[in-house]
Amino acid sequence: MTKTKHELYALLSDAVVGMDEDTAAALSREAIGAGYDAYETIEQGLAKGMERAGKLFDESEYFVPELLMCADALNVGLDILRPHITTEERSEKHRIVIGVIEGDTHDIGKNLVKLMLSAAGFDVIDLGRDVPPSVFVERAIKEEAKIIMISSLMTTTMDGMEETVQLLHEKGVREKFKVAVGGGPVSSGFAEKIGADGYASNANQAVKLANELAQSK
Amino acid sequence: MFTPKERLHNTLTGKAADRPPVICPGGMMNAAVVGVMNKTGNTLPDAHYTAEAMSNLAYDVHENTGFENFGIPFCMTVEAEALGSSIDFGSLKCEPKIQEERFASVKDVTFMPDGSIEKTSRGEAVIQTVYTLSRKHPDIPAIGSLTGPISTAASIVDPMIFLKQLRREREKSHQVIDYVVNQLISYAKQLADNGAAVISIADPTATGEILGPKMFEEYAVLYLNKIADAVHEYGIPVIIHICGDVRMIKPQLHQLHGNVLSVDAMVDLKRLKDDLENKRTMGNISTYLLEFGNAEKVYQRTKNLLTKNIDVLAPACGLSTSTPLENITAFTTAVKEI
Repeated sequence: MTKTKHELYALLSDAVVGMDEDTAAALSREAIGAGYDAYETIEQGLAKGMERAGKLFDESEYFVPELLMCADALNVGLDILRPHITTEERSEKHRIVIGVIEGDTHDIGKNLVKLMLSAAGFDVIDLGRDVPPSVFVERAIKEEAKIIMISSLMTTTMDGMEETVQLLHEKGVREKFKVAVGGGPVSSGFAEKIGADGYASNANQAVKLANELAQSK
Repeated sequence: MFTPKERLHNTLTGKAADRPPVICPGGMMNAAVVGVMNKTGNTLPDAHYTAEAMSNLAYDVHENTGFENFGIPFCMTVEAEALGSSIDFGSLKCEPKIQEERFASVKDVTFMPDGSIEKTSRGEAVIQTVYTLSRKHPDIPAIGSLTGPISTAASIVDPMIFLKQLRREREKSHQVIDYVVNQLISYAKQLADNGAAVISIADPTATGEILGPKMFEEYAVLYLNKIADAVHEYGIPVIIHICGDVRMIKPQLHQLHGNVLSVDAMVDLKRLKDDLENKRTMGNISTYLLEFGNAEKVYQRTKNLLTKNIDVLAPACGLSTSTPLENITAFTTAVKEI
């Protein structure tokens, strides 16, 4: 028996939360077969599931491995559904440039934030690690980004975050961008001190923050 | 009067000492700050490569900061490099990091023969440095720092894939971590045989926040303990450092076999000690305060920490290389005044 679209969206959301790639794939194909709108299926099924996963992460029910596996299930579904989105439906996505200001032994945190932002519908441009302040600024201008997200890790200097903010001022483009910071040693007090627009303590908070910053003028 | 080595050894093994030691164990938590290097001219990245440069800088750090130990090496990449990953050695002010992990999946890992870490030139340099410094300065404890098992495994396998495989490919993940652990144990034995007074293990990828309690227990506790047990057989105490917020993993911390548990700045050590039935604790002066505070604030905060029944005073996490030297000496001085 054919599922109603709402039943199907709910199951798809469950498949993402349940880290079940096979079911996410099968349901995504079923949605196409039943003629349900691909964009709506993504928004109300897959993305909803990822939002729930983010909430579980916030509540310490899920941890990084689980969140990464949910994202895999989401991506399997997206690969199937995306080609069926009609051009009119492609709503304007806010663009974010993200990077680690000075490297550490790995960049798990930044990658997690990037993944959650992408899942939440942002267009994320990853500048990688060891990104100098000038590159954050140049790329943000070139890509017409709305938000610059800078991550810093434990043992290196955080001066680059402040330099990035200052450089935006010097170039007279500070008000064109929202600057958000995060990472091990960073706090909201630090964000305020360097003149950033926001701070997020983890990947799910980063999505909330990005949504707020994208809405704000 | 206790020598720094006796004081640390006694403290870590539950014997009496005149006051808590103040140390910085090296590895992830090293105090090779720009202020020391500019003063003495022995600099990074050179001191990552040879025993001579490493010994000189380790001595400079001890001499200028007031930390009562030698902490070696100055990075977390010796092990991963030996096991195949490529390293970006950074600069004077930026620590080395993994340029590219050698393997894309735990299923691809090729196992090198046991003893591979100590056979590399940097592994050898660390062992030689421990040897030289412990002979030359027998009263100062030389601490050999290891990158923990989960962090090393996540430095040879792409970490985003590795973390998922801890769930999806459990058997293979265990095999890979066990292989890493055997390499670390063999390397630790060389450090011990060559004069290391203490082995310190920091495992920043193995946090409660990243793994959650279940996986922390399944992987981190199991393998940290395997290393700690082996090092204990060599007659040497073990420091285990766990990064991040530990509230969720207190029962698991209780199971760790290290002689002392070192934690991050957000952890209330007095409470942790109460919760863990007097497990020995180490920490935890905020590295943020050390970098951005002034000497007076650091001094006051240290005096406050000293009321918390902490066994070993140390920075809470990795120090920023731009940490002012006078803030570090304010920390060590405040402890030594007791």
